[in-house]
Formats: sequence, C-alpha cells, structure tokens
Amino acid sequence: MLRDKRQEYLTALVLVGPFIIIYGALFVWPTIQMVMLSFTDAPLIGPGEWVGLENYFKILSHRLFHAAFWNTAYFVVLTVVPNTLVSLAIAMAVNRLKGWQQSLVLAAFFLPYILPVSVVFLTWNWIIDVQYGLIQWLVRPFNGGEPISLTRTIPLFMPTVAFVTIWWTLGFNVLLFIAGLRNISPEIYEAAALDSAGRWRQFARITWPLIWPVTALVLTIQLIAQLKIFDQVYLFSIGGRQDATIVLVQYIYKLAFQQNRGGEGATAAVLLFAMIIVLSVLQYQLLRARGEK
Amino acid sequence: MNKSLKRLALASTAFLALASGAVAQQTVVWWDFLGGGDGVRMKSLIDQFNQEHQGEIQIEATTLEWGSPYYTKLQTSAAIGEGPDIATYHLSRMPLAVDSGTLAEISDEDMESVGLSDASYTEAAANAAKVDDTRYGVPFDQHGLILFYNKDMLEEAGMLDENGLPTGLDGMENFEAALEQFTTDGMYGLSMPTGDRYRMVYSLFGQQGGTMYDEAAGGFFPTDEDLEKLSTATETMARWVENGWTPQQIESPAALALFTSGQSPFFLMGNWEVPTFTDLAERGEMFEWGAVEVPVLFDQPAAWSDSHAFVIPANAGAEADPEKRAAVMEVIKWMNENSLDWAGAGHLPAYNEVRQSAEFQEMKPQSVYAGFADTAVFDPRTTLAGPAAPLGDAWNNYIVPATSGEMEPADAAAQMRDDLNSQL
Repeated sequence: MLRDKRQEYLTALVLVGPFIIIYGALFVWPTIQMVMLSFTDAPLIGPGEWVGLENYFKILSHRLFHAAFWNTAYFVVLTVVPNTLVSLAIAMAVNRLKGWQQSLVLAAFFLPYILPVSVVFLTWNWIIDVQYGLIQWLVRPFNGGEPISLTRTIPLFMPTVAFVTIWWTLGFNVLLFIAGLRNISPEIYEAAALDSAGRWRQFARITWPLIWPVTALVLTIQLIAQLKIFDQVYLFSIGGRQDATIVLVQYIYKLAFQQNRGGEGATAAVLLFAMIIVLSVLQYQLLRARGEK
Repeated sequence: MNKSLKRLALASTAFLALASGAVAQQTVVWWDFLGGGDGVRMKSLIDQFNQEHQGEIQIEATTLEWGSPYYTKLQTSAAIGEGPDIATYHLSRMPLAVDSGTLAEISDEDMESVGLSDASYTEAAANAAKVDDTRYGVPFDQHGLILFYNKDMLEEAGMLDENGLPTGLDGMENFEAALEQFTTDGMYGLSMPTGDRYRMVYSLFGQQGGTMYDEAAGGFFPTDEDLEKLSTATETMARWVENGWTPQQIESPAALALFTSGQSPFFLMGNWEVPTFTDLAERGEMFEWGAVEVPVLFDQPAAWSDSHAFVIPANAGAEADPEKRAAVMEVIKWMNENSLDWAGAGHLPAYNEVRQSAEFQEMKPQSVYAGFADTAVFDPRTTLAGPAAPLGDAWNNYIVPATSGEMEPADAAAQMRDDLNSQL
C-alpha cells in the first residue's frame, strides 16, 4: 500500500511542533543568549560591551572559581555513588516486603523527597545544631566530649550536606530501582535456586547485570543533579564562610546577582554547562559500554 | 511655608482629580523584607494606613525574603518596569543601588509636597540617603547593635543601679571581669550568634576611631594603623571565645535561646530583637530584661548601625505618574509621622519630631539606648557595602573565622583588605 509521506510529515509536525517551539524559546534561545552574554562585560540587567575571551581568562584564573570547581567535584564524589548504592540496597530490602508493609516502608523512604529544600534545611539545622542538636549526642564522643558545629567546621561541611542530600533525595532512586527489580522475572531466580545458586551468587549474576541499565540511568541523573548543587550548600553556609564551601552554581549566583557582573556570571555558567554535557555523556557511554560487555 | 505648599499641593491634586472627572483610588504596591518581630508591627501600621485612607490610597504589601533574594528581585523587577511603587531599603546599600540603576530620584519638590525636608532628619541619616548629592531614599529609622541584659542575674550579682541599669561594664577590664564572673558550668558570660560577631568587631573598630574606607587614601583600611585597629578588635572577640565566655560556634536561634533561657546574662544583638522579648514578657515567659548602648571598651562610644529607608524603584518604561507619586509620598509622610509605633519594634525613628517627642522618651528600653544614634558607625559609602553585598561576605570569610581561632587576626585583617580592594 502506498502511503502519503506528506501527510505523515504533517502529522508529525503537528504533534512535535508545540514542543519544538517551547523548547526553542525557553531553552535553545536562552542558551545562545547566555553564550553571547559571556563575551560581554554586561551588568546583571542590560547589554554590555564586547570583550572577547577576556571573561574566560579572568574566570579560569580566579581563585574562587577553582575553589568552587573542587568543592563541586568533592560533593559529586560524596553523593553520586553512595546515593546510588544506598538506594539500591534499600530497594532490594523493600522489594522483599509484601502488601501494605511494602507500601508503608516505601512511603516512609519517599516522603522526604517531596519536602521543599527550606523545610529540609530548617529541620536538619536544628538536628545538627551545636548547642541543642540531637546529633551532638553522637558527635560528642568523637570530639572529646565537646559539641562540634558540623556546618561551621569547614572539613565537615561537605560531608554533612552530602549526608542530608542523600537522605532527602534517595526516595526517588529507590522507586526507580524497585521498578527495575520488578521487571526481573521470578522464574530466573527460581531456575537459579534449582541450580543451587546462593543469595550472593543470585545477586552478582542475575540482579546486578539485569538492574544495570537502571543503575546507569540513576548514576547519570545523579551526576547532573549534583553538579548543579546549590540550594542546600547555600542555605547551610548562610552566616558562615561561604567562600570556603562555595560550589559552582553559587559562584555564578555570587557573580551575577550579588556583584552585578552578568557577563562574568554567564561565562561561569557556560563553563559549567560544558562540564555537565561532557561529563554526563562520557559517563553514560562508559556505563553503557560496561553494561553491554 | 511648608503648610501653604502642602495645601497648594493638596488643592491642585483635588483639582486635577475633579478635572479628569474621576476620583480613582490609588493602589500603592509595597515590598519589604521585614519578616521578624518588626514585620508584625509594620503590617499593623499598613492596616492602619489603609483604614484611614479608604477610597483614596490603599497599600498592597508583600514581604519578601531578607538579603540577596530581596535586593536581586527588586533590581531585576525595576529593570523591566515590574517593580513595586515603594520599597524598603538599607541606607548602607544606597551606593550599590544607584550603581545598578535600581532607584528613582526623590527630589526636594517631592519632599516639600508632603512637608518634609532634610531638616526633618538627623544630618547623618539625610546624607546617607543621598549619593553624589542626589536623594534616592527617605530615612525611616536607625537600627544598630545594643546590649541586652538579664536584670535578675545582674541584680543577684549586685551590678544594677537604682534605675535598673547595669553598672561597672565600661572599660575592657570591667567588661571582661563581668564575662568571666558569669561563665560557669553550662553558663556563658555572653551570648551572640557566631555569624553576627562582625557587628561587634566593627563596633570595637569604631571605638578605636578606625577608618574602614577612604576612596582618596586608597580604598579599604587605608593605613597600617587602621589595619591594626581591625586586628585588635578581632583579637578582643577571639579572646572572649578562647576564654569560653561566649560559645565558639552558635547559630542565631540558639543564641537567642541561650539568653531567654537564662544561661547567659548578656546578649549582643541588633535592636530588632526588642519585640521578641516584649512579646515573650507579655506572655509571661520572660524574666526582667533591659537593653543599653554597647559599653565603651576602647577610646570612644561607637556601635555598628544601619538605617531602613523608603525608596521608589526606577521602573524602566513605567515611570510613576504624578498622582501615583503623590500617593507614594503620602505613604512615606504618614509612615514617618506614625513611626512611634515602629519604635515599638526597637528601632529609633529617623523622623526628628517623633524621636524627640515626649512619648518616645517614655518608651523603655528604646529611649535608654537612643544615644547610639549619635555615635553610630555606619558601613562605609562604597558599592561593596550593605547587607548581602561583598563587604558582608568578606566579614564572614575572614573576620568571623579569626574570632573562632581558625585564622590569625592580623592575617585575616590583611586578607580582608586585599580581597575588598581587589573588587573595587
């Protein structure tokens, strides 16, 4: 049967058109604007003079940019893989439960995820408070009986915020993993059990390989999200030494909104944008390659 | 003369309204950042204004998040003509505001139309509202660092005079002896949030007569002596921390709780905490308390201070029409005249008539510490100054860690100077 190609193109256009228009107007165009802005000395609002690559040289040699880069990298290391592993462990445990018990436990893990960041911050700020915080009961023995401020002691800042972030966001990953685990047919485990495969062997040879695509997805989503970390770090650092714990998005915010340097802010944003694209594509390709082995 | 001008203005507004055939009610869109105890009082002032001006002017108020979010939103909204008709602003941030083109000029004629002039305010406040001799704000209050104290504890220690005021706190030796005396197991001589220590350091810097900024002399901390004075002020605070007289690390809510729970006789804080204690006392949940000016520990009285003001955003492409502007000026005048209620929030009214009135003199503890208005040290006049600006970041990045023993005070002072000068 002959098909009317033009008719098909039209249908496709009608279906995809609205998305392309919105995507173009709200993502592609602003991105182009951002790149163009990074070559000017514009303030936060309004146009500026063309300065070529000057902003790039300036930002790349800026001490604070280096601090922001390494802090962000450190935060990624502290969160991405731990969050994924903890989520997988919880998902496997929850998957063993049945019926209402499973729903209840799953809801308990998912609940923090729907909290706004401000609520998470206020709650944890009291829990870790150096004078009155509950957590001080756990911390004191490690500090000779003295309380210790987890967010004002610079080496402890990132691990603390990373811990809170994992607590806050793992619910969503658990859901993804559970969906993945349910996709594995029970017959495979049955067959493995008949061949007298133990728990560990079942996990290593069946669960882990079959759940790998979901794991790759979770890792990639996590990487992108944590490279863009801002809210928690900003909130926990208010009133503290912000420069010592600054992350990349915070650096952009500081340049653009606090120091009124739109051009330099855009430059830092372009650099972060490029970093995210390169790293996430690289990571996803590597993970996929491993999965197909 | 002011009166007749006022009448003339009123008459001409009325005439215009008649001529255009519409007595439209003006809506004044208002933004502020007053979220604490003072915010409650501001809301009741706004309600009162709206009741008194029904059918004429109505204020539509929104309270936004204090600090960077507020100032950023004001700047960006003004740039696209979507800003409010009137907003609150810190006078210390005035140079930055003008530099970023956020504010519209408030001319002498605007002021005269409602019977105001520079002479209605202290010279310092009137000047702080101007940048390069152009007025961009109308002062509303002056607020600053004061010393709250627990009367019960001081009485027990025999440190109260017959008027209920603390004695024997002036001079470094006396003050430190008092801190030492009250510091026992679980008790601290002094409570104050770690992040707010810069206010006291700046006060101590001012008490030594230090200059923070002098454009002509080369920027921040122009001489080595100024830098030394900053180190000395920082060392003082670091010593209090090291001796355990004040907690090494403590957040604002916990510092407040330390004082209100009777674990510390002194609380160094801004006067905006006055309503918190007044309200607690009304509910019977507070001991007898008082507040005085920051004691003189060095050569001269000085305390960190700033000022809330009213500004008119320069809404690009949507400049206020004359009637709107008249309504805004009416709001400003009314708020000034009723700033006695605002003094309930602990602030000192900037408007001379109110601050010098008998009613204000009767307000306690406001009138007790009102003297700081004359000896206050404001932030320097530079685009880096003000709340949520680079100067505040520099305090937090260098001086505060130096007070907790994480940096050497002299190094911290030098690094702060270099960092700020590199941003000029």
